Parts: sequence; C-alpha cells; structure tokens
Amino acid sequence: MLNTERKDDQAEKEIIRGGQRELAERVLDAGLCSGCGACVNICPYQAIYRDRTVVLHHCDLAQGRCYACCPGAPTDREGLLTGLYDAAELTPELGAVKGFYIARAADEGVRRGAQHGGTVTALVALALREGLIDAAVLADAGDGLLPRPATVREPEEALRLGKSRFVVSPAVAEFNRAAQGDAGRIGIVATPCQALALAKMRVQPVTAAYGGIEKLGLVVGLFCGWALSWRGLASLLGKKTDLAAITGMDIPPSRYHSLEVYTQGGIVSVSLDEVISCVRESCLSCPDMTAEFSDISVGSARLPEGWEAARSWNQVIVRTSRGAELLELARRKEIIEFREVPAGNLEKLKAAALNKKKAAERAAAAQNDSILKERTG
Amino acid sequence: MNGTLAKDPFNIIITGVGGQGNVMASRILSDMLVRRGFKVTIGETFGMSQRGGSVMSHIRVSEGKVWSPQIPKGGADLIVGLEPIEAVRVLAGYGNPSVKVLVNMRPIYPVGVITGEDEYPPAEAIRAAVVSAGAAARFLAATDEAVKLGNPILGNIVMIGAVAGLGVLPIDGELFETVVRAGMPAGRAEANLRAFAIGAAAVA
Amino acid sequence: MSVDGSWKEGVEVLLMGNEAIARGALEAGVRVAAGYPGTPSSEIIETLSRFAQAGRLYVEWSTNEKVAMEVAAAASFAGLRSLCVMKQNGVNVASDFLLHLTGSGTRGGMVLVTCDDPGALSSVNEGESRHFARLMEIPLVEPADFQEAKEMTRWAFELSEEIRNVVLVRSVTRLSHASGNVVPGSLPVLGGKAEFLCDGPVSDPERGPVISAPVVQKHRLQQEKLRRAAQLFETSPFNVYAGPEKPELLIITSSACALYSREAVAILGAEGRAGILKIGTTWPLPPALLKRHLLGAEKVLIVEEVLPFIEDQVKIMAAEQAREIGIKTFYGKYDGTLPMAGELNPDLVAGAIGRILGIAAPSLPAAYREKLGELAALTPKREQTFCPGCPHRASYWIIREALQRDGRRGFVCGDIGCYAMAVLFQAAGFHTAKTLHAMGSGTGLASGFGKLGPFGMEQPAIAVCGDSTFYHAAVPALINAVHQGADLTFIALDNSGTAMTGFQPHPGTAVNAMGEAAPLVDIGALCASLGAPVFCGDPFDPVRTRETLNEILETEGVKVLVLKQSCALSPEKKGKKQFLVRVDETLCRGEDCGCNRLCTRIFRCPGLLWNREKKKAEIDEVICAGCGFCAGICPAGAIINEEAARA
Repeated sequence: MLNTERKDDQAEKEIIRGGQRELAERVLDAGLCSGCGACVNICPYQAIYRDRTVVLHHCDLAQGRCYACCPGAPTDREGLLTGLYDAAELTPELGAVKGFYIARAADEGVRRGAQHGGTVTALVALALREGLIDAAVLADAGDGLLPRPATVREPEEALRLGKSRFVVSPAVAEFNRAAQGDAGRIGIVATPCQALALAKMRVQPVTAAYGGIEKLGLVVGLFCGWALSWRGLASLLGKKTDLAAITGMDIPPSRYHSLEVYTQGGIVSVSLDEVISCVRESCLSCPDMTAEFSDISVGSARLPEGWEAARSWNQVIVRTSRGAELLELARRKEIIEFREVPAGNLEKLKAAALNKKKAAERAAAAQNDSILKERTG
Repeated sequence: MNGTLAKDPFNIIITGVGGQGNVMASRILSDMLVRRGFKVTIGETFGMSQRGGSVMSHIRVSEGKVWSPQIPKGGADLIVGLEPIEAVRVLAGYGNPSVKVLVNMRPIYPVGVITGEDEYPPAEAIRAAVVSAGAAARFLAATDEAVKLGNPILGNIVMIGAVAGLGVLPIDGELFETVVRAGMPAGRAEANLRAFAIGAAAVA
Repeated sequence: MSVDGSWKEGVEVLLMGNEAIARGALEAGVRVAAGYPGTPSSEIIETLSRFAQAGRLYVEWSTNEKVAMEVAAAASFAGLRSLCVMKQNGVNVASDFLLHLTGSGTRGGMVLVTCDDPGALSSVNEGESRHFARLMEIPLVEPADFQEAKEMTRWAFELSEEIRNVVLVRSVTRLSHASGNVVPGSLPVLGGKAEFLCDGPVSDPERGPVISAPVVQKHRLQQEKLRRAAQLFETSPFNVYAGPEKPELLIITSSACALYSREAVAILGAEGRAGILKIGTTWPLPPALLKRHLLGAEKVLIVEEVLPFIEDQVKIMAAEQAREIGIKTFYGKYDGTLPMAGELNPDLVAGAIGRILGIAAPSLPAAYREKLGELAALTPKREQTFCPGCPHRASYWIIREALQRDGRRGFVCGDIGCYAMAVLFQAAGFHTAKTLHAMGSGTGLASGFGKLGPFGMEQPAIAVCGDSTFYHAAVPALINAVHQGADLTFIALDNSGTAMTGFQPHPGTAVNAMGEAAPLVDIGALCASLGAPVFCGDPFDPVRTRETLNEILETEGVKVLVLKQSCALSPEKKGKKQFLVRVDETLCRGEDCGCNRLCTRIFRCPGLLWNREKKKAEIDEVICAGCGFCAGICPAGAIINEEAARA
C-alpha cells in the first residue's frame, strides 16, 4: 500500500544524510544525475538548464532534501520497497507485482496518438476525468529534442501528450512546482529514477509550510532501459536528418538493434551502436527497468507474433491497490482492453529486468574501482 | 563665550558609515570654527568609502598652525560617532584617557553581520566599552530624532548640536545659524536649526 | 566643499585642497580646463565648472586623460592658459601625448595637475606620477598645504609661460581631499584672443608648427628649459627650512609628508634637534639649495610618498658634492626606516625620527592600551559593497545564474568603476569576476581569452564594462575583437553616469561638465556600427535578461549586451523609493532547507537584515532604496513590494 506513513526504523535507514555539497560531489560531479528534477524547485540553489542539473549558489546546510530525495544518492532500495509495498508481493527482479497484464487503450485514436498501446495516456485521462487526480505531470515536446514537463488539468490535454521521449524531462521539478500551487491531488507519469525520487520524498518528514509531497496522488511508472543525453542525441541525429522535421521516435525490441526516428520525410533508422554512446551516464548504474516505485508500471509489449503485432500493446504491472482500482475502473468503463498473457512473458520480463540489475552492479563496481584507483594512485 | 581652545591643536574625529552625512557634518563644524578665527585642517577620504564603508573626518583646530590631516594615534580629544561601532573603532585607534565621546546609537549593520558571519555587539556592550575608555561619554538617539523631523540624514546635525552643547568648543546656535543660512535654501535651514537645538538639549 | 561656496578676495575660508588648486588656476586666468574623473582629482574640474562661462572659461570632462591633455594643449598652442587634471593613472594614459608635447613645448601657460593616491585609498594601484617629470623632462612642484596649493598652481602658469613647457603640479589624496584655511587672492581681468600662429619655420617654437621634431634639436631646447627652471627653483619661496641652523637630523620632505614631519617632530618634542627642509620645487631639485642644507647636518632623513624619488636625487647630489659636504648618513626607504609601499602618517614618521634620535614617542598607559585592544575586538569589519538599489548587484546576480547554467566555468573580466568591487570583494559579485587591471583592460583581456579556443580553452570570458569606461578605453579593444573574430560576450553596464567618482557626465549622458545640454553617443548604436549583434536588457528584469545572456554565451564571435538602469545615487533616484519593501514573516523560510537565508546570506543587499532572535529576514527601511529586486529572488514570495506613493 503506497502511503505517507513510514515504518519508523526502516524509513530511518532510508534517510541518508547530506546536503548540497554531497549532492555536488557524489551525484552531479560523479555522473550519477539522471535529471529527474527532485532537487529543483524545492529551493533556489539548483536549477535544470537544458538537460543538466546545475548548482546556482552555494548552500551550506549539512543536510537537505536535495540529497535526501536524490535517486542518484546512496539508497536503501530494499528498505524503501518493504516500507511502501506488500512484502508478500515483492519479486527480486520486478519489485511488487500485484498483477501482470497485456493491455491497451480500447480507442484506436488514443493508441495512434500515443507511443504503443496508449495505456498510460488512457489511464491518466481517466484519472483526471473521474477526479481521482486534478492535475497530471506529463512530458511535452519542448525545444527540438529536449522535452519539457507540463502539468495538465484536462483529460484532452493528457491525450495530446502520449508520445515517448527518450530524453528525460525533469518531471519531479515540475511536480515540486505544481505542488506549491492550488492543485489538490497530482498524478505523474514517471521514469524509474523519478519514481524513486518521489518514493524517497514520501519518507522525508513532510514540512507543512512548503512541502508538497502529500499532494502526490498517482504514479504511473514507465519501463525504461536507459535515457539519452539531449546534447549527444541532438548532435547524432543532426547529422542524419533535419531535427525540426522529427515527429517521434521508438526503440523496437532488441533484436532490431535500432532507434527508429519518424520524420516528415519518412523513417530514419539509426543503429543502436551509435545511439549507445549518447546514453546518459547515470543510466549505466540504474538497476530499475520497470519503475518499481509506482502504483502501476507500463511498457511496450513483447508477443510471440512479433513486433508488428506487439507494438500496439502494453505490458502492465500493477503494484498497489490504487493501481489495481484504477485498472479495474478502466476495464469496467471499457477504456482499456486486455488480451491473454502468453506463457513465459512474465519470465522473459524478469530476465530482462535482471539483466539491467546485473549491468548496473558491474558499472557500480567499475566506478568504485576507478575511484579507488584515483585515491590510491 | 570663551573663544580659546581647551587644547591646541584640538583634535576631533567625526566617524560613521558612508552616506550618513559625515562630510557635511565636518564641513559645518569646521566652517563655524573658521568663522571664529581658527585655523582648521580637515582630513577625509571619499570614493570607495562611500560604498557602505567606514568613514572618518579628522578635524584639527588650532589658533595659528596648520596641522597634518591625519591625527596621530591616541590623539583624539573629541570623538563624534554617527554610528556605534564606528565610534568604538575610532576610539580603539585614537582614544586616550581624556577623550570625550558622543555616540549616535542607531546601528548600521555591516554586510558581514547581515549575512550572519559576524556579530554586532549589543548596545549595552558598546556603551560599557565607550564609558570605560573615555573621560566623558554621551549616547544619543540622533537618527530617531531626525526621522521624527522627517529626514534620517539630519542625524548628523543633531550630533553637531550635541558637540555645541558639550561646551568643549567655542561654538553655539547663533554661529550655526549663520553658517546654515549662508549655505542652504531657507526651507532646509529650518529643519537643520531644529535638529541642532535637539542635539544641544540632549547633552545639556 | 565649503558650505557657503562663495570666495571673496582676502577673506579666509575653508577650502578643500582641490578647491584651492582650482582657485589658483582661476587666479592665474585659466581659460580652458579638461580632465577625466579620477579620485582624488575630480573636484578640481567640478569646482571650475561652476565658474564656466562662454568666452571666459571652458571646462570639459573628456573621454579619457589623453584626449583631455590634447584639448588643453590646443588652448595653450592658441595662446590661452590651460589646465589639465587627472589622477595618477591618468598620466599613464596620456603619457604618449605628454612625451611629444614636452618635446614640442607649449605657448600659453599649461599646467598638468596630477593627484596621486598613496596607500591606494581609492585606486587599485599606488603608482607615482612624479617620475613622469623626470622622464618627460618638465618641472614638478608639490604643494604642502592648502594655501600653497593655491599659490603654487597660480605660479605654475607663470613658470610654464617662462619656460614654454608643461609644469606638473602633484598633489596627493591627503591634500586634495583634505581641507584647510585659504585666503583667496585676486581674480585677473581676462583677455586675449585664441589664435594659433603656425606659419613660421619649423625651427621657430613661437610661430612655427608645434612639433617635437627635429627631435635632437628640440630635445636640447627642452633640457635648456629645464635648467632655467632649476635656476628659478634655487630661490623659490616654496622651499622652506625651519629648525636649528645645524640640526642633528635634517629632514627633507615634500607634499603632505611635510605636515606629517612637522607633527612628528612636535610629538617627540625634537624641535631643537631636527630641522625640516620642505621642498616645493621637487624636480629639478635645486643643487645649491641642497648643498647649503646638507653642509649643516650629518644625518639626513627623507620623508616622501610613495617611492624614493627625492631620496634618489638627494643621494646623487650628495655623491657629486661629497668633496664639499662630506660623508652623510641617509635614512629613508632603501634602508627600511620608512616603508616603500603604502601611505605615511605622523605616527610612522615619529617612529622613524624617534629611532634615529633615540627619543621614545609618548605612549598611552599599558592598562589603557589593553582596554583599547578589547574595544578593537568588539568591532566587526565593515566591508564595502554595492549600495542598496545598485543595478550592478542585479547584473552580477544575472551573470552568476547564467554562467552556472552555462556550465563551462566561465568568468568575468572586470574593469574600473563601482562594478570593480565585484573583483575586490568576491561575494559582492557572486564569485564571477576574476581579473581587474586598468581602464578598458577587461575588454582586451576577455577578447584575448576568446582567441584561445584552438588551444583547448573552453571557458567563456565575459567582459564587463561601465558606460564611462566604455568611452574611455574599451572601444579600440572592441573593434579589435570584432576584427580578430574573438569569442567575446561584452556586457556594458550603463548606469547613466561616472558613478564611482561622484556621478560626472560622459558622452552617454545628455549633459556636459558645464551643465549644458550635449549630444549623446549611444553605446548600443556604436557597437552595432561595428557589426556586432547588440542586445538590450534591464538588470531589474532578471529572468528575461538571464535568458538572453545564456543564449548569447552559446554563440560565437562578439556579442554586446547593454544593461541599462540608472545608478541608485543618480539625481532621479536618490532618496526616492519605487517600492516600499517588507517581509511577510509568516512566509519567510529563514534558515530552513528550501531557503537557507538566500537574501541575507548570498544576495547581501545592505537593506536586508537577518534577525537572529526571530530567525526571519527583515528590511531596514532607512537603508533600503526601494528597488524591489529582492522580492524576485525570494523562493517563498515572502518579500513584498508595494508601490510607493509619489512624494
């Protein structure tokens, strides 16, 4: 059950002490910043500029929410998971799994406006329409390939913002900003790192005067292998096509080994070998493929029929009763349609998620090695 | 009034923060003394000190000689502090057991105090320090009086009035009026005269 | 300035050293006066401008000291008496012209007044201008008090006309900005028509073209002029000796140091043992006068600021005269008796004399001194910072936030003016400004950095330049940057006046030194004509201005950003508040995470106070200038601006 109450001693462990100095030394300068924006709009000392988190002025507090809520800072993930979810439902590869489905938006129009099955878009629009939330933080197209977070109030606006962005937008910064306004309950579509930041924020003491996390209503998590650095991607694609003509992009299953870029003039296929060099450095050490700290997580489906069939379906992991209730509501109202889960699908997903965890462990070990080498000379 | 000096040269330091009217105060006081027939040297620095820094005017009053614009250490006979810690600072550098001190107790906080790096000493500590280091000390609320008169900068005139009221120099309200009427438009002169009178009364 | 401001002949009045110099020039019948604002010299031109009148006296604030000297020289060539005024570094700026001027000679009396700043009370150097007299081979005189400042200046014009060359009158801060009794003399009847006689042969200095060629011939002539001055100096009333006929210690001194020396001797009660030779005609030092006094003493102490100028010459003369005067013991700067850096004062000089003569200076009782030590410990330091309401604080805030977002460790090359404080006090400029040299040098340096890209330089350099500095010296560097294709972000801080020195006008203001309406040279238009893209911003509009700055930082070549907002001390703003600013305590976050005292700890405007008891920020309504900028930086919206009623 996702809630704001902490199981005291476990939650205590989750609060790691540190302030802006630790944020700068151990996260920003160490290449571990994912650009989630948790440290922005809670104080005047950090900002997101383009796709970088920058320190504007020096803050000398020994402890602050910036470091406490940062997903790139040391985190007791196990403690956080057991504190926020039903222990019986926790799996080592995927986090809490209350239910696993293959689903998609029933309305073809919604699917067309979205990335794959349109499940996220449909669920968010439903939550807004039913008043379960009165605002939602989504990603809008910003400048060129750099997305901009947007807080929407109307279901129609949510339907408009269905495309995937492979560059992270600082959604948590936008949540922080929106929470200081007059919205009552705010939903958010979050990458794994953003969902982790929000979970860490939940276990911080809430400050009534200017907190905001108590307004968090719904977290729809996105499956994520990695995100791309905006500068790197813009530079790479700028050589292959006119950036202004790009309408969207997608990454088909791994055997295709490509990034598909949809432009006004057709599809440009870019080998993943080139794209990999643009991956944001922080992603290399991230162990979370399915956004374990959400109410409900959604990704693109994998089906035995192949990509052409699968690309219009989603895989959905329900984690909390809030997530389960929303999905059930969507089923009843025929907003979402389901199909049978093929045998072995969940195992394949677990295997893929486990791969990401192992890669993250290796990267973390390599970084420790290099730090150790630096320190011992 | 006795037109001679208690000491020759008689050394006065007017001190405060840039923008408090230190220069104006030293000019007016010196003009009065020149009119009485004395040789006066004022030593001052402008420029950077205006930007919120400490300022001092060293005034040497003598029957016949021109003295250095810098008073030697420990050589002040009268210290007029438009700001409390500037008064203490000058006293620390130029004080001696016979010095008389007038202090306007309205603080102007240095940037270091504003930012919390330094502490501004409490009023009691300032009073105690000044009393312990001088032969006579008077503390005034010159800025408050000036604010009542409508302009905080008149605080410096209140202090000039106090200097006159102290009786250490051969100056009085009549002399002040002559100087002020010669140098200011009539409207402004009135406020200055009132400020002077308030200062003189405060030490009477 | 005397409260009264009117000076009557024969009536003793209190004058600032600079006012006395101005009065001296008026008594000499000066017709043209030109200078550039520079502390501690600015009051001379300001005082003269009060007496400006068409056809009688023309007064100008020139764009820089070299131009000022050229303007004054023209008047001299046309037979009028002219005055040129600057601080010590101004002579450096004008020195190339001065070199050729002293070679060509002058006609109408021309006096160059330089006001040096020993101890750098208002400068970022304590350079000496006296050496220029030696380098340029012209006479140098130094007044030692206020009456003398007037007398010497007046006489300098006569000397200049006698020898047909520039005369250097050198003052220092402690005289220029000090005040003392002066009896004004008579003002002359002004006459003479401006006419440039130039039809004669090149070799005729009075009626031919005015040039320093043929060089060797003119140089010899120049040296004859100097010898003539030296002759006159032997009997000058400005060289005065006071003391015993054969003093135990001969003190040779000049300028304000003469007053310090006199006071020092009085402190020690050494009038019977030490004699003071006050030199007024410092260069060329009259040898016969020196010999007379050196004969009478074994020990000689030279007291001067800053460098050993007189000391060098006295020692040279002593060597030349050794057979007649004998061997002397010299005390001064080279042997460490007095410091070679920083200004002097009566205590330092008394210490020196006391050590030489074995006299202990009177000191305060030990217990009292201890008490004074406690007082000193009680006082927090008072740092200088931008005034409340200063647009520079806002501009540097914007620059800091832009550079941090830019992320390439960019920096500011600073320049001379109030905004130089950002380099001297790093917190005042939010740690952005990292170089500071001479007028206009920030632009040259930044453009130099902007050519280092091919060598791996990634850090963008920003040149910050005031409006007056722009006209003075930045333009050639800017032209160079455009022509050389340097990557340069040039920010002009236009606060509509030469603020640091007292708010004098310049070509960007629509008024001149004499208060008349004058045509304006627009900075933005001038930069645009160089082919550089020009952007305009208001430092009190931080978000938009910062966005503009971030955009231009990422483009190549020269970009100009003009930030226009008048100085808080300018006539239209001084004493008037646009907003009544207050803090809502219920919203103020204070030390908590989420603010950590951004306004009082980082922004540091003197109008903002941290109340340690309440743990909230407050506005000091006496100090606050009402600009309202701080309301925009408060993360809680706790600082509230209310429109102030029009007075």
